[in-house]
Amino acid sequence: MSKIIAVHSYKGGTGKTLFSVNLAAALAKAGKKVCVFDLDFRAPSLFAILKTPNVDFWLNDYLNNTCEISKTLINLSSRIPGNGTFYACLANPSTEAIRDMSSKDRKWEMRALGRLLALRDALLKNQEFDYLFFDTSPGLQYSSINAIVAADYVVVATTGDRSDVDGTKRMLSELYNLFEKKTGLVLNKVLDPSPTAKKTEMQNKIKADYQVPMLGMVPCFCEVLRAEGGLIFVQDKPDHPFTKILTEMARKIENNEIE
Amino acid sequence: MIRNELSSKKPLNILEKIEESLEKLNDKIEIMIEIQKNGNTNNLRSPLQLPDASLDVMTLLSMPDHLRKTAMTICRCTRATAEEISDQTKRARAVESAYLNQLVIMGYLKKERKGRKAYFFIDKESLS
Repeated sequence: MSKIIAVHSYKGGTGKTLFSVNLAAALAKAGKKVCVFDLDFRAPSLFAILKTPNVDFWLNDYLNNTCEISKTLINLSSRIPGNGTFYACLANPSTEAIRDMSSKDRKWEMRALGRLLALRDALLKNQEFDYLFFDTSPGLQYSSINAIVAADYVVVATTGDRSDVDGTKRMLSELYNLFEKKTGLVLNKVLDPSPTAKKTEMQNKIKADYQVPMLGMVPCFCEVLRAEGGLIFVQDKPDHPFTKILTEMARKIENNEIE
Repeated sequence: MIRNELSSKKPLNILEKIEESLEKLNDKIEIMIEIQKNGNTNNLRSPLQLPDASLDVMTLLSMPDHLRKTAMTICRCTRATAEEISDQTKRARAVESAYLNQLVIMGYLKKERKGRKAYFFIDKESLS
């Protein structure tokens, strides 16, 4: 069963953070204990979306081996309706921290992988978390590949943009295949909300094109753009079609209906 | 002298020593077979040549498929025997033993014997 889920993409702006937060929120709403990790150390964004005040310890500190993981976890459960538990572990957005993370050597990255792998015991086993979501940085960065290696399942966010399509295909065949990772594709910003028959045809075409199973298809919603990343749709707009699509994806993950 | 030594030890201990020696010999033969199978030793870097060999993700990516699977499994387990690795990769113990020994020669892993078992692990110094 997939417990650690990495959300990745070839290019930026494909909706990784939006999916990470909303998939985690949908599972928390269903009563699960979840945590979202910001592994985009070069452009941290989760702190802004979750509007977290006074963070004492960052994920950077855990990976630098200067604190335990429990110190970095921020409980945001009060923001999510239902009985679930929603935690976040954030990347430090200060310029100094970004610079520090950009200059790490291979040995540090190897230790970081070890510490990410250790989360399985520390959080899933000892603290009984149900799901961990790794929101990664786009492309082939050390932190992203570490997250992919440590994960059970990788959600790949992509758009119809030609520059994204080719790169995503290459990444799927040259990266995920090599690591033998279970992968699900989410096509985001689909322009034409077609009728069901056409949608199935489109899904089959994409599946054949990318050679990986599809987790879902998300139309381009003006409300999502208007929210400017300031809303957790699952929490703030429970009846919005975007919430329904993300809730369905979360249900597939929860019921292990992923190929 | 040999007779004295033999008489002073229990036959079981002697048999265990023989078994241990045979296992060591077996490991060496497996390495030689692996080297022969893969052509030459050019791609097998010794730990002396590469004291900083680190098993990071980019190194994992550049490895041949058969070694990557073993290396990724040892990354997850941190420390394991060839049998424990073979349980996860579903490949034969002897195959995993050969690949693990190859990773030791390349400087990515360390090997330690405890009794009859050989444990493979990522060097603690590189993790500290």
